[in-house]
Amino acid sequence: MSGAALKRTLLRHPGLARPAVVAGMFLAWEIAARWWIDPAFLSPPSKVVASLGELFATKGVPAALRITLWELGVAFAISVVIGLVVGLSVGLSRFANRTGMPIILLLYGIPQITILPLFILYFGIGPPSKIAFGVTHGMFPIIVTIVAGVQNIKPILMTAAHSMGASRWQIFRWVIFPHMIPSFFAGMRLGMTGVLLGVLLAELYVSTAGIGYYTQLFTQSFNPTMLLALVSVLAGMAIVLNEIVRRAEIHFGRWRS
Amino acid sequence: MSADSTAIRVRDVSHQFGEPGDAQFVQALQNTSLDIVRGELMCLIGPSGCGKSTLLNMIGGLLTPTTGAVAVHDKPVRGPLPHDIAFVFQENALFPWCTIIENIKLGMVFQGVPKSEQEPRARKALEAVGLKGFMSHYPAQLSGGMRQRAALARALSLETGTLLMDEPFGALDEQTRMVLGEDLSVLLSRTEKTIVFVTHSLGEAVFLADRVAVFSARPGRIKEIIAIDEPHPRKPAFVTTEKFAKLRNSLYELLHEEIRKTVDQSAAMGAAP
Repeated sequence: MSGAALKRTLLRHPGLARPAVVAGMFLAWEIAARWWIDPAFLSPPSKVVASLGELFATKGVPAALRITLWELGVAFAISVVIGLVVGLSVGLSRFANRTGMPIILLLYGIPQITILPLFILYFGIGPPSKIAFGVTHGMFPIIVTIVAGVQNIKPILMTAAHSMGASRWQIFRWVIFPHMIPSFFAGMRLGMTGVLLGVLLAELYVSTAGIGYYTQLFTQSFNPTMLLALVSVLAGMAIVLNEIVRRAEIHFGRWRS
Repeated sequence: MSADSTAIRVRDVSHQFGEPGDAQFVQALQNTSLDIVRGELMCLIGPSGCGKSTLLNMIGGLLTPTTGAVAVHDKPVRGPLPHDIAFVFQENALFPWCTIIENIKLGMVFQGVPKSEQEPRARKALEAVGLKGFMSHYPAQLSGGMRQRAALARALSLETGTLLMDEPFGALDEQTRMVLGEDLSVLLSRTEKTIVFVTHSLGEAVFLADRVAVFSARPGRIKEIIAIDEPHPRKPAFVTTEKFAKLRNSLYELLHEEIRKTVDQSAAMGAAP
């Protein structure tokens, strides 16, 4: 294939260019790590991938990953429940909206990392503090998107349902609820991002058994290979969790297209 | 006109939006009375803001008159009467997350139709409006005209005695409107329904109605009622007859003065400090 033809093919299919960019970045990383940078600080990706087996064989690491995954799951579930309950009540009641919404937006705007020490103080250095910190990061985006989702229903749809004799419950079940589903899933995706951020921040801040402990251990012992392997596993976990919620969002919002 | 031939009785209704003295205060309708006969198609026509949609919503129980009363089949209207009255709205009022047939069934769910009857009734209604092949489509996949056909099918499936249509073809282009009007005339000639139809279009009013109620400018009152003495279903050729032209012209004369007044009113409001 000539250069011009290659260029044309790539321009028409940006999807093909994407893996090329990713491959280029990995190549640059590999070269830099092998010949330029002190191996005490950076390992080449080939070595990182090769050490994944060793990572999982390290005593305590699988358990730490399990604990982190469990913290993420619990924090996400709590965020969804709180987000749904608060979001629906604030979205559906004018009074609750006027009173509650400004407070929610204010709290959402606070950089919570500043109060992380308080979470450790109140919930201890074990999983509860990580879960609590994950929840406070995850629930706000869910609340805010649900409120917005409930409120932008076309009034004519409510009028139509009302004129056909729908009860309050039927209007909720058949009009408000299906209308809200896409924003609910969009909120869950944002909530998942928030939960990952909250839990991992708390993990890294202080940890006795979770992955935060091992990241510190690998950093302090100048073992970038294992550190990067652990970070890759975490990133992989985050991508998979986000992708699950994103797929669900597309599936339940397909009438919108 | 005998008492039991009256399907809808509107007595001396007025409607105000807001309180007198408010900046937004609007006297939409003033001391209006109207009797609509069982089985007839009554068109309401008038300048914008004269209160014809307000009257329609009061008949359907979506709005409560400030004074006066409405009765449908001698039942006083105090809220929606889903077993007696079905609506077709101007805007697309289909639920976008339901397919066409699900939309129609949902109407019946709200009305309380037993589950076993929903499917056959929905299919029958879709066949009547010519949408049988589109029942699994979502509203967004259909044209504006087809969506209004689907909305009509939903209203028909509810099998109410009365159908209220608020500019159902208002958002459609002229040609789609014409075809839908012709189909509606054929469809409705087969039913015994009482229909109240709000429109802006003189031609549509003459083509569809048994009687046309012409409204005055705000505050709206019924200025005159014109009878269209032509059997249903109306032939497309009716539009080209001299009779059609005469009726249309007399409506035009009645309306023209009122539309002028409305325009002058809004100009005066715009000029006020």
